[in-house]
Amino acid sequence: MRSLLGEIAGAANGWIELRFHSRRSKRLIVRSGQVEESSSVDSVGVGVRAFVDGAFGFVGTTDFSKSGLRRAVGIAQRAAQTAAGAKRKPIAGLAKADLASGIFPLETDDPLDAHSLAEKLDLVVRIDELVGSRHRAIASSEVAYVEMVDEKIIVTSDGASAHLHDAKPAVSVLAVAARDGDQAMGLETVGVTGGWSDLLRTKPPEELAERAIRLAIDQLSAPYAKGGTACVVLDPDLVGVLAHEAIGHTVEADFVLGGAITAEKIDKRVASELITMCDSGTSEHLPHAVGVVPVDDEGVPSERTVLIADGILRSFLHNRETAARFGVSPTGNARAYTYRDEPLIRMTNTYVEPGETPVDELIGGVREGYYLRGLGQSGQADSNGEFMFGVREAHRIRDGRIAELVRGVTISGNAFDTLLSVDGVGDDFRWEQASGFCGKGQPAKTDDGGPHVRCTLTIGGEQDD
Amino acid sequence: MTSEDLLERCRRAVANGRRHGANAVEVFGQTVESVNATVEKHDLQISKSQIETSFGVRAFVSKRVGFASTNAPSRIDAICQEAITLAAASPEDPHNVLPKPVETEPIDGLYDPAAASFEATDAVHRTAEILDRVEAIDRRVIVNDAWFEAQRAEIAVANSEGLAVRELGSLFTYGLVATARDRERVSSFDVQSDASRTVAGIDLERPIARACENALASLGAAVGESFRGTVLLAPRAVADLVVGPVLFQLNARNVLRGRSRWKDFIGRAVAATALSVVDDGRKPGGVATSAFDREGVPHRKAALLEDGVAASLLHNTYTAGALGESNTGHAAGSARSVPAIGPTNLSILPGEPSVEDLIGEVQRGLLVRRFSGNTDPVSGDFSGAAKSAWLIRNGKLDRPVSGTMIAGNLFEILKHLSGVSAVSEPIFSYTLPTLRLERVSVTT
Repeated sequence: MRSLLGEIAGAANGWIELRFHSRRSKRLIVRSGQVEESSSVDSVGVGVRAFVDGAFGFVGTTDFSKSGLRRAVGIAQRAAQTAAGAKRKPIAGLAKADLASGIFPLETDDPLDAHSLAEKLDLVVRIDELVGSRHRAIASSEVAYVEMVDEKIIVTSDGASAHLHDAKPAVSVLAVAARDGDQAMGLETVGVTGGWSDLLRTKPPEELAERAIRLAIDQLSAPYAKGGTACVVLDPDLVGVLAHEAIGHTVEADFVLGGAITAEKIDKRVASELITMCDSGTSEHLPHAVGVVPVDDEGVPSERTVLIADGILRSFLHNRETAARFGVSPTGNARAYTYRDEPLIRMTNTYVEPGETPVDELIGGVREGYYLRGLGQSGQADSNGEFMFGVREAHRIRDGRIAELVRGVTISGNAFDTLLSVDGVGDDFRWEQASGFCGKGQPAKTDDGGPHVRCTLTIGGEQDD
Repeated sequence: MTSEDLLERCRRAVANGRRHGANAVEVFGQTVESVNATVEKHDLQISKSQIETSFGVRAFVSKRVGFASTNAPSRIDAICQEAITLAAASPEDPHNVLPKPVETEPIDGLYDPAAASFEATDAVHRTAEILDRVEAIDRRVIVNDAWFEAQRAEIAVANSEGLAVRELGSLFTYGLVATARDRERVSSFDVQSDASRTVAGIDLERPIARACENALASLGAAVGESFRGTVLLAPRAVADLVVGPVLFQLNARNVLRGRSRWKDFIGRAVAATALSVVDDGRKPGGVATSAFDREGVPHRKAALLEDGVAASLLHNTYTAGALGESNTGHAAGSARSVPAIGPTNLSILPGEPSVEDLIGEVQRGLLVRRFSGNTDPVSGDFSGAAKSAWLIRNGKLDRPVSGTMIAGNLFEILKHLSGVSAVSEPIFSYTLPTLRLERVSVTT
């Protein structure tokens, strides 16, 4: 296939990108003892993107014959030509890059295919039973295993020729507790880039189940938080969520061009000098981050991009189009979800670099505040840095010690103000390694993480009559 | 591929699945041909086209079920075997059955032959037209995103009970996200969209005019006020905040999962009498109109809420069997997914007052055009940002506000619904009026 794509790209008149993408997905979902889904979805095709007179045209095709691919190239080129006729400002060009060539295998010694479906289903059924049987307050449970096994061949007429293998399995465990008409949820997830044992070792599913059960039950009796500004210690998961959702999207160059708050802030202070934030297609510090992407879907090798260095905004995330426009090198962040999709600027693994303060000291320095763990039921962030997130697990901090659990906590504010307020960065590090997707028109598997961080932000509360 | 081919391939796959050892088999086939063009940052971004045939196979082995799907028609036999392997590894469930065939009355007007000649060039021109029209209205309006897509889809379902149905449809969808800028002042963005089954029914003007009007009107938004009281949700905010949790509660799957608080409330009041919700899969010209659902079961009109009383759950074959109720034909999904449960053309029935009348009775309140935040569909607790919001003072829209949050419990608030507007708007497959709610927490 790689040589066929190379032949087609070489013969094309003008710039062309051919991306063969095969994905084999499996989903096993058990809810309260019932198998709700046991499915396998295969999707294979070639995404053909043409660049003509400053505009892109795109065709997704499942016809891999030489004539079928040639036909698709023709349609994509005509689409680009038509688009060029209607474009206000033609794209000046695509940035040059050291495009990838070669084979990029998945790094694991325990591939998913070596494990039977029965073994995977057995795990899901066993964890669901564990959640359902552990405590009488658990009203329902849901355990899901989802894997995506990908093979990609990316060829461009200007030199990329990369053959990649990837696998991203994930498990999520939901426990719903009910008592006296009140309900509360505990959700714990794990996702990795890697194989079967990489997934199980990262966060053992039994531990996920125990944590989900405890969180659901403890919240039933927990009081609601009081609103207001507070000194908080964020755990690495929440630091990662903040880095990705509230900062990361504002430094995606397409959002920058669309008027994100960062547009005029390069080389300016946007965070405390304790903060250095990066995006990397490699799993820095610890292995098996979800967003590992050795080569992006334009054939650009991924890199560690320093977005914020010691509190100063240094870089945006680019594809070849925006890199040319900004006069910089592409950062390897062009990603497409399936062969049907054109590459968009997406994050990979976004994180805050660890600092020097032991976590005990971060918490010990808070007289009155909150210890906040993980993202609750989604959240939202705007390109101006404003965010609001539900918190999965919130504890009061009293006199430097983690105290009682409180429920219904949301945090909100401006991400850059929040980062400016940081007065302590932990010496630890963890990837969030969650099971979900980042959404931006297309889904993408990304990761985020960092150390514990201490800062000031607004805790959500209710208005009185 | 013609529709006969598609249905015939589904039938053949059913027979093959039986030969491979399945007791029962269902095959859903789809061929989707689409062209689209998109605008980003006030310029044409890309023109795309796609044609793809996919099959989804559910294989049953002694009341065990497995599902496999492929977009490579040559692999249909392989995925039949894969579905059987998945079924064999799963536990038995007595409710894993397939629907029996019943007479399905075809629906006219689902397919416009003019769709066959619609090309990528046409999508580019329509998208460019959105930009031109916006510029003609007011140069201060910037189109952040716009899209136009033409789709031609054939679907077919065959199962081992003898069910065999097929349908051909066309759909044109389009819309835009617009902001207004006037020197330093930037408005909140406004989202408008629409859809048509026919080329003649495409109407770009309504969403464009509305997006420009709303974006320009919210220029100069300033800090609002904090109070607990009246909030009017415009149709898109109703779609963002109300529809999802109501559907979650009425989804029979969630009743079986023990996650619906309305599970024992069918026939009882769950909301104010002003609230009636209807779902009609056969609605003439509807975006989601189709003669049958994902399992081939005929669509029909169903009252979900009648004068505030929960009237019916949404069922597919599995949930109808498990709960001993009749199947409402709400199996949803594509060839790439296991049949789930979902609405078709959902409407909240209009009331009598105009939106102006609803506002006229409010001393202090907030009009919200979009909601961006979290709603827990289990508890009904919601909190999030009120976007494109206006403060209401003494019965009039006073001024646009930004940075305002709304919060409360949706299910409690629906009991205190104090008004439903006479005029509704299409929000894709939903038709929704403006709702006036009380006791909502508004924070700035």
